[in-house]
Amino acid sequence: MKIKFVFLNAVAIASLLALPSWALDINLPEETAAYRASTLPGYQLVQQNCLVCHSAHYPQMQPGSSPRSYWEATVKKMKKPFGAQFADEDIPAMVDYLVKTYGAEKSAAAAQK
Amino acid sequence: MNNDMTFLRRRLLLRSAGLLGAASLGGTGLLAEAATTVVLPFENGERELQAFPQKRPMIVLTSRPPQLETPFPVFNESILTPNDAFFVRYHWSGVPTSIDPDKFRLKVGGNVATPLELSLADIKQLATPVDLVAVNQCSGNSRGHFQPRANGGQLSNGAMGNARWTGIPLKKLLEKAGVSAGSQQVSFNGLDQPPTGNGPDFIKALDIDHAMDGEVMLAWAMNGADLPMLNGYPLRLVVPGYYGTYWIKHLSDIQVLTKPFDGFWMTTAYRIPDNACACVEPGKPVTKSIPINRFNVRSFITSVVDGAQIRHGRATTVRGIAFDGGYGISEVEFSADDGQTWQAARLGENLGRYSFREWTANFKPTKKGPSVLKVRAVNRIGQSQPTEALWNPAGYMRNAVESTRVEII
Repeated sequence: MKIKFVFLNAVAIASLLALPSWALDINLPEETAAYRASTLPGYQLVQQNCLVCHSAHYPQMQPGSSPRSYWEATVKKMKKPFGAQFADEDIPAMVDYLVKTYGAEKSAAAAQK
Repeated sequence: MNNDMTFLRRRLLLRSAGLLGAASLGGTGLLAEAATTVVLPFENGERELQAFPQKRPMIVLTSRPPQLETPFPVFNESILTPNDAFFVRYHWSGVPTSIDPDKFRLKVGGNVATPLELSLADIKQLATPVDLVAVNQCSGNSRGHFQPRANGGQLSNGAMGNARWTGIPLKKLLEKAGVSAGSQQVSFNGLDQPPTGNGPDFIKALDIDHAMDGEVMLAWAMNGADLPMLNGYPLRLVVPGYYGTYWIKHLSDIQVLTKPFDGFWMTTAYRIPDNACACVEPGKPVTKSIPINRFNVRSFITSVVDGAQIRHGRATTVRGIAFDGGYGISEVEFSADDGQTWQAARLGENLGRYSFREWTANFKPTKKGPSVLKVRAVNRIGQSQPTEALWNPAGYMRNAVESTRVEII
């Protein structure tokens, strides 16, 4: 025990002389945002395809007036040039979910229920 | 903008957030719940407040990647924005969360005589460190206030901050590498990465003359402390007077180029209309564009929040901040009657032409009822702020004269 203690002290002194700096580590908080549940087929797709890269805040915060053309352009932009790995066949259903959940067709979608 | 209840609620929520901070771990569930949201003054403006590492509770724009807005009352605390309240903006979720400063290296390459690979200690010894107070502001600061609305990060006015940056001039580093003839631009890359393999890495470029102007800095400290991780630890580019998009965080790679950099973040994103106002008619597309560059003139009231009550017949001092892209603020005017009459404000201490400039103005409210306070600033080359907001599709560079609605009682 005594030897170990002395050894540790020596290490401590050596480290002080070398003026070490420590790595900065951070732990980002748990994610709280989630895509709003829906029976629209796009709901499952956005969970698979969008959450891989970013939190659900991105569509959530957009103005409620955002038209279908915005959502379509944005989903396509995520694929090219941004490199998202989803299939082209997924795009129409994702756009439909997004515009009816967060965009200009929100009230129309609610009225259908 | 016209819903007083929204403003009142915002104030109450911000107050309870302050209480929670003071009460620390002792907060009740109810109080904690009340303190977790804030309502920004535009449609769909409800946001969470959350404390990220090395940060106090801030307005969460997005959590992955972290994008955090400074709660506006912070700007009334001090002219230098505290590190733990300084805004955070990332483009990709491949954010570094562990960096060993002893292992960190900055590469300098491209059209140079001697390519370099430097440790943080090397960089700190390369030249006499300099201090510079400068505002960093997101291109899309205040985008949420655009009418008609512009898609993108829906920020209120808190994606800006003023800090004392410590580092060395970029010029010294480039001189050490030796810039070769025929160089046109310099590109800057950081450790943050796209989460998928083929997304365009976030790389920005400056013209060679700008990079060599002696003012652009490599900074390792802000306000006397190491950069927080989310503000670019251990080294970031500081481009005084220019929008934050150029202030590359976790700066790890510099390339000197013989032709203009053609990456996505210069040629497609962060572009503004190529005209004097950087604006187009609302709803219209941009025909010719250029990369966003220098800040325009802005000013804010910080001591009075929307919905505040002010006593009738008493001398009142109003305080705030003004800044521009580096010419320096020469004049600030305050109006207590919705812009009908204006009075000169007193300018506070001058911390340099890239800094927030404090201003104060006195007035005595003479009429009870609702009232609108306004502020506008002019810089040394005569640029000012438009009464009506200018518009562009990307929602960049808002600088309209702002209004603070109060009740004189």
